[in-house]
Amino acid sequence: MTSTPIIQIENVCKNFGETAALNGVSLDVFPGEVVLVIGPSGSGKSTLLRCINRLEIFDAGSICVDNIPLTTAENINAVRTEVGMVFQSFNLFPHLSVLENVTVAQKVVRKRTPQEAIDIARGLLDKVGIPEKENDFPGQLSGGQQQRVAIARALAMNPKIMLFDEPTSALDPEMIQEVLDVMLQLAEEGMTMVVVSHEMGFARAAADRAVLMDEGLIVEEAVPDILFSNPTQERTKAFLSKIL
Amino acid sequence: MGVRKELEKTPGYKAANHRIDSWWWLVALVIGIVVLLATLQPDPYWRVIRFVSDGLLVTIGVTVTAFILTLVFGLVIALGRLAKHGFVRWFTTIYVEIARGVPLLVQLLFWYFAFPSLIQALGRLFRIDAMAHYLANPFLMAILGLTVCYSAYMSEIYRAGIQSIPKGQNEAARSLGMTQNQAMRHIILPQAFRVVLPPVGNEFISLLKDSSLVSTVAVADLTRRGREFMASTFLPVETWIMVALIYLIMTLISARIVAWIERKTQTEEH
Repeated sequence: MTSTPIIQIENVCKNFGETAALNGVSLDVFPGEVVLVIGPSGSGKSTLLRCINRLEIFDAGSICVDNIPLTTAENINAVRTEVGMVFQSFNLFPHLSVLENVTVAQKVVRKRTPQEAIDIARGLLDKVGIPEKENDFPGQLSGGQQQRVAIARALAMNPKIMLFDEPTSALDPEMIQEVLDVMLQLAEEGMTMVVVSHEMGFARAAADRAVLMDEGLIVEEAVPDILFSNPTQERTKAFLSKIL
Repeated sequence: MGVRKELEKTPGYKAANHRIDSWWWLVALVIGIVVLLATLQPDPYWRVIRFVSDGLLVTIGVTVTAFILTLVFGLVIALGRLAKHGFVRWFTTIYVEIARGVPLLVQLLFWYFAFPSLIQALGRLFRIDAMAHYLANPFLMAILGLTVCYSAYMSEIYRAGIQSIPKGQNEAARSLGMTQNQAMRHIILPQAFRVVLPPVGNEFISLLKDSSLVSTVAVADLTRRGREFMASTFLPVETWIMVALIYLIMTLISARIVAWIERKTQTEEH
């Protein structure tokens, strides 16, 4: 982690009307790092994640991804092709088959030929463990399978960074592990990841750093084991006592 | 499509899709009445049918042409109303409000009588000969009037359909690097089209009925031919019963087709 950060967030502020979601957040993420963001609901962690690929427009501060500042429309699209995003509610395209879900953006954005796109998609579906479902439609899959397709869909764009916005919160308990396993594998392969999640098992196994947010600010950041077992801030202790 | 095969295995799919729609009996009944009247009393009923048959073709031609134009133009207006550009949104909103706020009959009268006069006046003013001697083609003006009015309603249906697609769909598409136009074309519109199919079908039925208004602007459609037959024979009862039955057959068949499409889109929803 001696290299320059791949994500540089500086003093980002974001208001929704009267309420401030982000109150000047600064965070650097280095290539290959896995950063876990935790915090109570409404603390701004999802907003921060969505600012990184500009799904949310921030009011002040700056974000650079892979040295591209999020300013012009071209820059934003350039950043989005390098940043994969996985949503809490999967957001698979219900009118397309599993295979088409993974190939559509490859063809439209990356301009790959249909055969190239299909080959890549099959490889990725194999990787996330559901090669036999390629002709199914999202509505025919379980939540865990849908989320794994969503991960394959994002990976098909060859992103340098993956953002996970509470990827397991909408899942039944028995399906959480199959998604976490895919994420663990990605982390082992050296993918840069920013994960909003309260999965402590995943945090201990894969995260290099854990960040606690509250009221639009980063309260504390440390190696997960240290943050969870030995927090320095009162706010962190109070939050951890509720979720552990 | 693989899903079609899968769906056909499920019992509900067959029941919903391959059962004959029981309301077809009403269509058969009305057709039966027409056939019966025409055979038992060819004079005047068969005479009415023979007389108005060219008007029937005009009605179908005007309706189908205006409907196809409305499908395209309505989408353009809907996208305009959802555009980021303030002026485009403003302009299309004004258009929709005007086109929905003025009665269709008045609009048709405007396009047939007032619009050509305006063009002629402008032609005289700027000494452009072609404009000064402009003559309205009733057929084209009628299609123009219907299209302008119905596109406003159609655009509202499209807009509702597009807005019914969850925001997460657009976000997912954009997060994959698609531009707004690519997301609209590949992700939002294909889903919205399914949602709007039934109401769009109902618009077709409304348009078919409202096309009878073009009889007032020199288009020899079914209604106008009926009026001509009545004028020459003084048989109002027989004439309008027959004309009404012919309209009814067309609208009932259209309604069955719309119902079939509606069932189909429902069973295909995942």
